[in-house]
Amino acid sequence: MIERKRRRSIENTLPSLLESLSDSVGAGRGIQEAMMEQSRTLPGVLGQLLKETLEESHSSSFDAALAAFAAKTRSSQVQRVMVLIETAIEQDAPLQGILSDLAMDYERLNDLMNKREEELLGKGILIVLFISIGLPVLIAFIVGLFTPASKGFQIDSFNVTFSLFFGAASAIAIGVSGRMLGRFKDALWWMPGWIALSMGLYLGAVIMIGG
Amino acid sequence: MRKLDEQREILYVIRTLDVLMSSGVGLEAAIHTIGSGGYGIISEDFSGIMSRLRKGSSRGLGSELKSMMNKADSEGYRRLLNTMYTNVTQNTDIIETIRKQGTRMENERSESVNKYIEALGSVPETLLSIGMIGPIILAIAGLIPQLMSGDLGAFMKLPPASTINFVVNAGLVLTLFGMFMIGLKAHTKDPGL
Repeated sequence: MIERKRRRSIENTLPSLLESLSDSVGAGRGIQEAMMEQSRTLPGVLGQLLKETLEESHSSSFDAALAAFAAKTRSSQVQRVMVLIETAIEQDAPLQGILSDLAMDYERLNDLMNKREEELLGKGILIVLFISIGLPVLIAFIVGLFTPASKGFQIDSFNVTFSLFFGAASAIAIGVSGRMLGRFKDALWWMPGWIALSMGLYLGAVIMIGG
Repeated sequence: MRKLDEQREILYVIRTLDVLMSSGVGLEAAIHTIGSGGYGIISEDFSGIMSRLRKGSSRGLGSELKSMMNKADSEGYRRLLNTMYTNVTQNTDIIETIRKQGTRMENERSESVNKYIEALGSVPETLLSIGMIGPIILAIAGLIPQLMSGDLGAFMKLPPASTINFVVNAGLVLTLFGMFMIGLKAHTKDPGL
């Protein structure tokens, strides 16, 4: 989550960096000089990383510095942009126009990604909370209240079946929620924890209520 | 999966082709650059085309692009390949066409994200309806043999416990399957951002 937050903050700042670079290049500065200047003024993680990379790159080539910067950000958006800038420099292409187009492209892309996140995050959380927490607790309450083990009801096999069901339902809920937000692979890391929580909650609540 | 990968990469490929070709790089060299990596499934396709051309085992770039059109799953990728094919066979203005395609695809992407958000609006409600009501009913059904085991059992005859267990287990599996199928919508309709 922390890594994702960091990456998204970098990606959200990328369009403004590209726009400023386009302006500087349009004003007659070289791309390297423009980047140096931006590294001093750009706020956030992206500016800091750019500054660090350019400071460290005195002994290497500009291409190597760009590659190192792209790798440090760990963002596929920044990596793609840096590859395109490198290609444009190699081919002597008109940088101002390219940077300006890229700025617009990535701004629109990030707007869409942010919109998707904003609109679907609540729904994703709702699914996970209801399926992984609400449902096991509710059924544990019914089971514990009406067929308490303390009064001799034999519900061991029932509990095994239902705890397995809650584990599987949790896995599906986490998977669907992750896919909705476009981060299924991230969701896979959380899956075992939620499965265990859901199963544990059910069994714990049944014991607590039913004895 | 292939369609999603193509949709995710196609705009980046178009922008790279635009940069490369507007600075004077030829179509074949541009395909080679993209084929050298960084654009997922499209890089793999282009790398395959270049390797077959180098080996001399193909009938030229035109026919390679045409056969790739049959392989392409997404409309955008097929359109790009068609533009490249037309450029090879009829020497059209590929840069202008690619730029227009890029703009069009971007608009389509914005639309498809909006549609995706709209389409997923009903997913939580449906998923929660099936995922919660089903297990609650099945839990009560599974507890009936326990609840009716005493004096209450004299009022009505229940099916054997094994039958009830079978119904509950099958119901739970069906519920999981239903939840999975509803959730699958989130995958199949993904706009590929």
